[in-house]
Amino acid sequence: MTATPADKFADPRNAQAFRFVACDFDAASGTASLSYAFDDGPLLTERVVFPDAPTLPHEREAAFAQALRLLHLVAGVSYYKAGIPAELRVETGALAADTAEFLHELYFHGLAEFAYENQLDLGERLRFAPVQSAGGGIGKQAPALDLPRRTLLPIGGGKDSLVSVELCKSINEPATAVWIGDSALIAACAERTGLSLLNIKRRIAPELFEYNRQGAWNGHVPVTAINSAILVCAAILYGYDAIAFSNERSASSATLEYLGRQINHQWSKSLAFERLLREQIHAHVAADLDYFSLLRPWSELAVAREFAKHSQYDAVFSSCNRNFRILGEHPSDRWCGQCPKCHFVFLALAPFIAKPRLLRIFGRNLLDDTAQANGFDALLEYREHKPFECVGEGRESRAAMHALTQRAEWREDALVARFAHEILPQLDRAALAFEPLLAPHGEHYLPARFAAALNAPL
Amino acid sequence: MSAFICSVTETIVNVNAAPANGAQWVVLKFGGTSVSTRPRWDKIAAIAKAKRAQGKHVLIVVSALSGTTDKLKAICDGHADAGKCRAVADEIIARHRAMFVELELKDAGGLDTWLARLERLLADPRRTDGTLTWQAEVLALGEMMSSTLGAAYLTASGVATRWLDSREHLLSEALPNQSAWGSYLSAQVPTARDEALITKLPTLGEIFITQGFMARNAAGETVILGRGGSDTSASYFGALLDAEIVEIWTDVAGMFSANPRSVPNARLLSKLDYEEAQEIATTGAKVLHPRCINPVREAGVPLAIKDTNYPEFAGTEICAAVADALPSVKAISSRSGITLISMESIGMWQQVGFLADVFEIFKRHGLSIDLVSTAETNVTVSLDPTENLVNTDVLSALCTDLAGICRVKVIAPCAAITLVGRGMRSMLHKFSTILAEFGSLRVHLISQSSNNLNLTFVVDESAASDLVPQLHDLLIKAEAMRVEDSAVFGPSWVDLYKKKLVQDAPWWRARRDELLKLARQATPHYVYDLATVRAQAQALRGMIKAVDRWFYAIKANSHPAILREIVARGFGLECVSPGEIAHVREIFGDAVDILYTPNFCPRADYAAGIAAGARVTVDNLHPLEHWGELFAGREIELRLDLDFARGHHDKVKTGGAASKFGLSLNELDEFLRLARQHDVRVVGLHAHLGSGILDAKHWKEVCAQQASIAEKIGTVRSLNVGGGYGVPARADEAPLDLAAVAAGLAEVKAAYPQFELWSEPGRFLVADAGVLLARVTQLKRKGEFRYVGVDAGMHTLIRPALYEAYHEIVNLSRIDEPADELVQVVGPICESGDVLGNHRRLAAPQEGDVILIAQAGAYGAVMSSDYNLRGRATETVL
Repeated sequence: MTATPADKFADPRNAQAFRFVACDFDAASGTASLSYAFDDGPLLTERVVFPDAPTLPHEREAAFAQALRLLHLVAGVSYYKAGIPAELRVETGALAADTAEFLHELYFHGLAEFAYENQLDLGERLRFAPVQSAGGGIGKQAPALDLPRRTLLPIGGGKDSLVSVELCKSINEPATAVWIGDSALIAACAERTGLSLLNIKRRIAPELFEYNRQGAWNGHVPVTAINSAILVCAAILYGYDAIAFSNERSASSATLEYLGRQINHQWSKSLAFERLLREQIHAHVAADLDYFSLLRPWSELAVAREFAKHSQYDAVFSSCNRNFRILGEHPSDRWCGQCPKCHFVFLALAPFIAKPRLLRIFGRNLLDDTAQANGFDALLEYREHKPFECVGEGRESRAAMHALTQRAEWREDALVARFAHEILPQLDRAALAFEPLLAPHGEHYLPARFAAALNAPL
Repeated sequence: MSAFICSVTETIVNVNAAPANGAQWVVLKFGGTSVSTRPRWDKIAAIAKAKRAQGKHVLIVVSALSGTTDKLKAICDGHADAGKCRAVADEIIARHRAMFVELELKDAGGLDTWLARLERLLADPRRTDGTLTWQAEVLALGEMMSSTLGAAYLTASGVATRWLDSREHLLSEALPNQSAWGSYLSAQVPTARDEALITKLPTLGEIFITQGFMARNAAGETVILGRGGSDTSASYFGALLDAEIVEIWTDVAGMFSANPRSVPNARLLSKLDYEEAQEIATTGAKVLHPRCINPVREAGVPLAIKDTNYPEFAGTEICAAVADALPSVKAISSRSGITLISMESIGMWQQVGFLADVFEIFKRHGLSIDLVSTAETNVTVSLDPTENLVNTDVLSALCTDLAGICRVKVIAPCAAITLVGRGMRSMLHKFSTILAEFGSLRVHLISQSSNNLNLTFVVDESAASDLVPQLHDLLIKAEAMRVEDSAVFGPSWVDLYKKKLVQDAPWWRARRDELLKLARQATPHYVYDLATVRAQAQALRGMIKAVDRWFYAIKANSHPAILREIVARGFGLECVSPGEIAHVREIFGDAVDILYTPNFCPRADYAAGIAAGARVTVDNLHPLEHWGELFAGREIELRLDLDFARGHHDKVKTGGAASKFGLSLNELDEFLRLARQHDVRVVGLHAHLGSGILDAKHWKEVCAQQASIAEKIGTVRSLNVGGGYGVPARADEAPLDLAAVAAGLAEVKAAYPQFELWSEPGRFLVADAGVLLARVTQLKRKGEFRYVGVDAGMHTLIRPALYEAYHEIVNLSRIDEPADELVQVVGPICESGDVLGNHRRLAAPQEGDVILIAQAGAYGAVMSSDYNLRGRATETVL
């Protein structure tokens, strides 16, 4: 029977099952193909291309197969969310109990914001039961592969990963700047790092866009988890013993509560996710592959202070989420000036960067623009909840704003003056101290060779 | 040749002041890129030879090879790091050895002397501390080496050239308050005609080469003249030798009326006076360092800028002011990164010494003030974006100190837009369109210098981008920039450097006889050429491959024959009213795809569009808020206002808060919520931000912004980048670079392959295809003005009255006669605005002549009216 186009793209929201159909790797082209489907609908195949992929040494083949499988399971989250059917069917072999638990956590927390935005309750639907008990996994340890001592350093075009780049350079760590996708902006930043470069391509299955156009569920996915899994494959393939992300401390805090649960927009950048993925890597892929966040002991403000020391990225970097992929010549092509990321990065850098330099980076003064008042209020958690974006904690924003009220070159700016008159009197001044927020602390998984660079407690 | 008039004058003056002894000097200065390759040296040889052939004595002043001074500076900056100094020195040595080989020179002795000197300076104990004398000696090496190589090569090429050490002739002076750094690395040289030198040099040779950038001090030490120093050296020598002219040979033909990078139509300034040139160099033009003008001005020596690659271009000549020159704006420039410091004090009124206190604080922090404006309780000053200001805490420290005596506010980042031209005050009345442009921005400061040379507006930097091309255009239109004065304004940058596009003669010239015949049948008369429509449609589709679907905005011209031609080229049609939809359905039935984009229309209009099966565009919350059920279960397009606007006139700008079109971005979330509530799917984003856009980057910016928004909506499959493809109206406007538009859109498409791109041109397809024929009715002379009345008016073609649009006008009856009468072309309507063309040159019109108004194919007949009950024009399709 020939399916009509309408049948072919049956609404995934009515599907019974989401299927992890197959994953394989074509060594010649360096292409990983990850296939999924809703019921008997069209195959959704995502492709990840590793450029100039070397021939995999025999002793790493098993580890690579495990890494690829992990990627397949993790990347499925983008497709699963289009329909969130009740059944999750893994057709690529037995699922270990610990992996099932990992995936449950990832899908549940990683899609929490998606669920909130679409008013869905994933708790009722999400079931990553082990297909069959594959000998547990708790306490299981993958073999060590004697991977070369060098670091994959994912960069995103924003300030955080560029701070990591400079930290690696300061301790002479051999590192490769790696990015996923086609962003001209990230490529421009990468070129200025002076590191060796690796650009991995990712092609989302085009059918997913078609589902989206037809009204499938859509929203935020834990993209850092997907990128992390891609880099685990890359580390085994090219030979790196460390993957250093640039997530700072505040990435672990929740954005809001919904149905009694904590929702964190950047859950896959949190320490909790980091721990879970480390366990998966060490149990199933390689005992000597380190996955961690270099900036974890630092607050956003501490990262901003560090970034201020390096001006070579001023004209190319951007943390704005709106104008991200196309590199334009004006600051307004890189910074929309309206979104929470623009607001926060502006505010966090302001205490540390000469005002003319900051204004040159952004091309305008966001703190002297009354139209931005609501945006900054949200950062300060004043009358608004913290935005669903990767931004610092409310107390960091309040401390930064308070610091600006003490500065002659800032305090007459409209929003700084407003903060001083309207918001500051309602705040506990003792909680506005700046220095405590700049000291490294808290849990982290930094290997010893990196910890010293951040003055982090081991 | 007019370029030499003023130098001749100067020579006469000089002859009167001090008789020259026969030897006339020319000083030729060549910059880094001009001395970095052998072919460039061959050009220098040819230029020197030509001067010599005219009987001149020649002094060549050279810069260092490209990049060498930066490397020498790196050695100075990193003086403490011996390893780094060594590595950089090795690069310099390798570069000069390679140049020696490229020039096929025999004797390396000269070069070796300087390379040995470099080694000695590296080993010099002064390196550890980086003392200023050591730095000056290091920095001087670049020009020493380039002039040594040059002397050898020119001589070997048959142009016997003698090497001079410029330090023997240029003696710096110590200035009061000068820092040690300034006296060694930014030195100044007082100059006056040097009779001894003028007498001595001709006994030594005819052609000389020397170094720019350096001098000696009273103690005999080497000093450096600072940035732009080689130009300044040439000026100093010009003054010493009382030269006939100083020529600065570089890689651009001269100073332009604006930065050609942003204004390709900027005109070469053939002639400037010293003060204007100084002002332009200070406020924007990079081609000349402002410091080099004063020495030649004092000596009365003209200075010319020439392009080494194109010696045949006239270049810019700078000399004393010509008394009877027409007042004209010569140049417009924009400097960004300006910081304003606004100081507010209630105690300032008649308070003695307030300004002195304020300026003392600026001085204490080493900050130099540029512009100043004062009011009773406020003083505002501007600071340029110096290294010091941008990368240190100096602004913070300054503000802290200022806060002790006043309320201080930093206004930044700003841009200073400066108009330069002698006689600025007498032109103020022509600036109404310029001021209107500034009226929509926040102008923080206006400054007009009392030397009558400049007018500066300081505005927000974000508002200033793209403003300069627009103002340049308006200055020409307002006749404040008198580009028709060929003594001052040369060709445009595009004409000089871009391969001149062969502008085909317009179709109506070839079909003149047919048109005259049609005019005999009826006037006013619109005539359309379908071949032109076809060519434009094919140009768009053929060039801009990234666009998947094209729609023609039929409001531009809805003549059935034109619609058929365009639909046959694969275009859908864009309609804005039920009437337009009915018109299209009547001609094509259901066989054509309709995009429907009504604006502020009643509910029934949407219902009509839905009933007609059109793709409906919504651009406001209201329809979903109040008539949501009308759209339930349907797909719609959403028109966004991306909050920046372009276009050639206020009334054709369709973006920004002051425009009624498009949903504001901050209402997007609410719109999507309403859409979900009514089960409406947003499948396309649309933005159309203006008309007549000639900036090729525009569509890429719009599309990139749409894509990033669409990605978050999820249901979007197409991005409609609108139209607005500009058609140049004047002969001196460059056509839109479609290849650049295509490349920009292709880049966005590569980054966001999931979206189809749509576009909806209107005017681009039809403007050039139509002409309006009218007949001369009456002639009138009134004061200076000569009026030519025609039987077409604002009721026939309203664009000139409504948009101040420019349409070329010719006397078709006398097309081969010279167009030398300056006239106002006016219509028969009882409105003073009924003017089709101001200050046009036509071949002497007589009653009954047929006048052709070009580019009338778009928004012509469709916007005509019955005003004054004069009836509508006839339309004919060829």
